[in-house]
Amino acid sequence: MSLELLVCLITLFGLAGIGAPIGYAIMIAAVAYLGLAGLDTALAGEKILQGLYKSFVLLAVPLFITAANIMNAGTISDRLLNFCIAAVGRFRGGLGHVNVMASLIFSGMSGSAVADAAGIGKIIIEMMSKDGRYSRGYAAAITAATATIGPIIPPSIPMVLYALVSNASIGALFLAGIVPGLVMGVVLMAMNAWISSRRGFAMEEPVPLRQLPKVTLNAFPALLMPVILLYGIYGGVTTPTEAAGVAAFYALILAAVFYRALSIKSLYRIFVESARSSAAVGVVIGGALILNFIIISENIPGIMSETLTDLDVHPLVFLFAVNLLVLFLGCVLDATTIILVIVPLFIPTCEALGIDLVHFGVLVVVNSMIGLITPPYGILLFVINAVTGIPLKEIIREVWAFLGILIAALIFMILVPDVVLWLPRVFGYQG
Amino acid sequence: MKRILNYFSSGVEFIAASMLAAMFMTFLLQIFSRYVLQTPFGWTLEFCLILWVWIVFFGCAFLTREKDHVTFDIFYLAAPRRVRQAMALIACAALVIGMAWALPATWDYIDWMKIRKTTTVKNPFTGAKIPIRTIFSIYAIFMVAVILRYSWRFIDVIRNGPPDEDHELPGHGDDAI
Repeated sequence: MSLELLVCLITLFGLAGIGAPIGYAIMIAAVAYLGLAGLDTALAGEKILQGLYKSFVLLAVPLFITAANIMNAGTISDRLLNFCIAAVGRFRGGLGHVNVMASLIFSGMSGSAVADAAGIGKIIIEMMSKDGRYSRGYAAAITAATATIGPIIPPSIPMVLYALVSNASIGALFLAGIVPGLVMGVVLMAMNAWISSRRGFAMEEPVPLRQLPKVTLNAFPALLMPVILLYGIYGGVTTPTEAAGVAAFYALILAAVFYRALSIKSLYRIFVESARSSAAVGVVIGGALILNFIIISENIPGIMSETLTDLDVHPLVFLFAVNLLVLFLGCVLDATTIILVIVPLFIPTCEALGIDLVHFGVLVVVNSMIGLITPPYGILLFVINAVTGIPLKEIIREVWAFLGILIAALIFMILVPDVVLWLPRVFGYQG
Repeated sequence: MKRILNYFSSGVEFIAASMLAAMFMTFLLQIFSRYVLQTPFGWTLEFCLILWVWIVFFGCAFLTREKDHVTFDIFYLAAPRRVRQAMALIACAALVIGMAWALPATWDYIDWMKIRKTTTVKNPFTGAKIPIRTIFSIYAIFMVAVILRYSWRFIDVIRNGPPDEDHELPGHGDDAI
């Protein structure tokens, strides 16, 4: 390892470790590296600017953020919730199932787990903990767990970020997320059913079947969103990036015109807040661009790939090792950083070992989403704690069961690549 | 002073919101021109990319608050007050020094980019293509803003101690995921 690389890493981890914004910490570390290596310090700015200016794919990020914010502001979530209650509320542990189903549908619209938890999650936690039918810790824990599905089922911001660092096809990645997302939904429902019958959680008053058409009709335009998005992308009408624009537009029309739940003033606030989040994510993306430049000029992925192929590591062993590492890192780092900074290190090794990059991408995205609910540092736990005031200790006590079953689902996806790759292959993905 | 700051921040919010709204509309226009008119406007894509670069760096320069950023604050939050103060001071100083170090060379690069022009987007008033320097200059503005903001923060931390409200919600900043 060269001295300048060592200084770069020390600066990066040092600054990030004392709480400096991660994007800025990377930039400063990059400048230190370039300066010590006798290179032009302007390279940092150049790589960041050129990278952002050239990647059309990244435009999906601000658009998906806007779409998610619009959907949370309108009454779209309420209508979906009523539909889910009518559909699955009648079973034991009903609201738990409603929670999973709502997340599944909502994840087909927004690409963000935090948006899901803060929006629809908050409403459903209130419903669950009302009258003490469910402990509030349980309500919060299942909401956090189901929100992780959000970025697995397309559209998905983390998948866009992964596509940026791996050059894997976004279209294939989006398709590849659908079945794993459904698998996660099923295992969470199973866990909820098991816990509910053991603890004797209440059932909901069944919504009369004759009301079902009305509730469905009410939610129908919102239910149509995933269909429109997927048709747009796979019917060849729009690129995945353009689909992000369509999603935001459709959400806007729904909220403003159809459901009349959005004022000009709140729309303005949505744009301000979305610009704020986009800038905060954008600067980390920029940092990742220069960091990847450094990592590649030091040929770190190449060295890793050589060592690992020389050691004759079995692809499965490699996959398990990487996933274990990501899971561990997920306890302390956030998903953006893991996908943009850590994952690129492993891409050449994947290629050398013949691991499919789409399969690998879905695994790391699922894994880093699980990281969002792993104590002590799980952003979803914090968000729910912040929006509902339920103490972290209670949420964490209840989250272990869901964490365990999600990890089991992840192991299943590692062992059976077809769960991930079957659907993209049906649509002509060569891999 | 407070009033000027208020005007400034609502002006900044307005510009950022307009840029995002413009990007959104241009995007829709692009889809419309491609699939409905069957004759895609050439300029829409590059215009969106220009706005994206500007949203990120204009946003980071003026709009984002400390608590909006993606940070890793487990150690920071666990440390006692004196240590937190030292951490905040070191972070501010490092950001200021690093940015100031890279600024002259970076400006040389941006200035040199005046020879390159946009490929499709034209200035609506003159019809001339826009030099890349104009577009990338926001990065220099961003660097200057970061230097000023963190210099001010450095002084503030010395005077008033570590600003804990910025880290009220641990793991803040990852909102988009």
